[in-house]
Amino acid sequence: MRKTCLIIASLLASITANAAPNPEMIVVCYPGGLVNVKDANEAMSSMLRVVERVGQWQQNSFISLFTAKSDECRQRMAEKHPKFAITSLGLYLELRSQHNLVPVVQPKIKGLTKERYRVMVQKGKYKSLDELKGKSLGGTVLEEQSYIGKIVFAGKYDPASFFVLKKSNQAIRALRALDKGELDAVILSEQQFGGLGSLHLEKPLEAVFTSEEIPLMGVVANSTITTAEERARFSKALEGMCADTEGKKLCELFGVEAFAAVDPAVFEPMIKLWDKGS
Amino acid sequence: MRHTRFFAAVSMLAFVTGCAGLQSDHVRFDRHSDCPKQTADEISAKQSLLGPLSDTHTLECALTVLRDSQDIALLRTSLGSRLCLHLAERETNPEKREKLAAEGVELAETALTHKGDEEGAVHYYLAANLGLAVREHITVAMKNLGRLESEMKQALALTPDIDDGGPMRLLGALYLKAPAWPNGIGDLDKALELLEKAVKEHPGHPLNHLFYAQALWGEGDEAVLTQVKAEFALGEKLLAEGNWGHNKAAWKKEFDEFRQELGDAAPAYP
Repeated sequence: MRKTCLIIASLLASITANAAPNPEMIVVCYPGGLVNVKDANEAMSSMLRVVERVGQWQQNSFISLFTAKSDECRQRMAEKHPKFAITSLGLYLELRSQHNLVPVVQPKIKGLTKERYRVMVQKGKYKSLDELKGKSLGGTVLEEQSYIGKIVFAGKYDPASFFVLKKSNQAIRALRALDKGELDAVILSEQQFGGLGSLHLEKPLEAVFTSEEIPLMGVVANSTITTAEERARFSKALEGMCADTEGKKLCELFGVEAFAAVDPAVFEPMIKLWDKGS
Repeated sequence: MRHTRFFAAVSMLAFVTGCAGLQSDHVRFDRHSDCPKQTADEISAKQSLLGPLSDTHTLECALTVLRDSQDIALLRTSLGSRLCLHLAERETNPEKREKLAAEGVELAETALTHKGDEEGAVHYYLAANLGLAVREHITVAMKNLGRLESEMKQALALTPDIDDGGPMRLLGALYLKAPAWPNGIGDLDKALELLEKAVKEHPGHPLNHLFYAQALWGEGDEAVLTQVKAEFALGEKLLAEGNWGHNKAAWKKEFDEFRQELGDAAPAYP
């Protein structure tokens, strides 16, 4: 999910000094990521040129405001009232009413526009999530505890009270700690789970919890200050991104096969879960 | 929260020579006719005098001799690759810089095929040149993180102390700046381990302290802020007071960039 955020962020943002007059600002939020603002913006800049070309905007039509902090994201959204933004699903659910947010596009990764989260333990040590009550839980996704509780755990567990949380901005460090027995469990995104094979951990791991499918978040728009036409144009530009000769290389680089216009209904179950937990 | 520079990896990322992405033609030097007549043996004999303190013309003349040489004994050393690196590092024109670095990769690959006894140094300069050759080409760089890591690891195993702990410094910086797992080989813990070792074993090199400060900064922990500032300040002082030749300007720029990132947390100028 977070890689998705950055991929999309990098497609849409530019902080170049040669911005067109009144460039459109895009707030980019990547909570929990181990990302440097300066470097993220530099990466986004190269990808944005492709999007602008595909979408037939004047070069440097967009400028980004990037943050990896949830609090800062909320502040930026409130201050800048951007037409478009890239947020995590958690921040979208939290801020959607306040900023009239509607999803525009979703990424497709390994053929899917959804992901699952898993709680991993050393094999055989714990049999269920209930056995982890009062135990330590690590992971980068813990940056958004409300999201984990309301959506990933579907309201069944409050992370802050159920576990002893050991939030980290480095997934690999959490997994090494799990491997050594310094952590009881680690919660992983789909992408992180898929990367486990590349780590050479000593102890085998297993999942004691697997979430339901959760839609991947992409670009959102403020529906009161964008027209349907603007949103459609943005969507089309991103949909064309991975088919573009240059854009394709960038999409391949980040493991995104395509961007797809989103059916807002996809997020309805998440909205219901979020509101139920509020 | 402070973050490591994951996309500054473009400055450290490598691509195997002979593959798409590296410049294949060589830089033509303007004052070629002014070069003193010297043989490959003469160049070899004075190679320890050729470095960051040498003037550009001297290095260019030496490289010209190597380009035309068929002397296997010379070609199997790291000298050619090292000369290219010194020239590339001071070159302000990006295209020329990439060409020089790409040539440095070529010469290192040639040396490896001849299996010289400077293999560690050859791997080191190959890696360093590759980083420069691809720094502006993100997709090429990303595809070859594995190769760069491999070259640096070989250099570390064979000649860990070259260039004031260069392999530790470069490999540590790679782990610091590359995209983190699962997207890439970025690994803050490995970076911290290597860079801490670099500053302990080679405390006189300013970049060892700068990169270590950056790694500590990447922890995002207020508790290490004092150490971040101390390492940064020490590195700046070493840079200001040392004779680093043509590297000084480029390294000062790196310090200045990190100073900006530290913002209010930055120590006073030395």
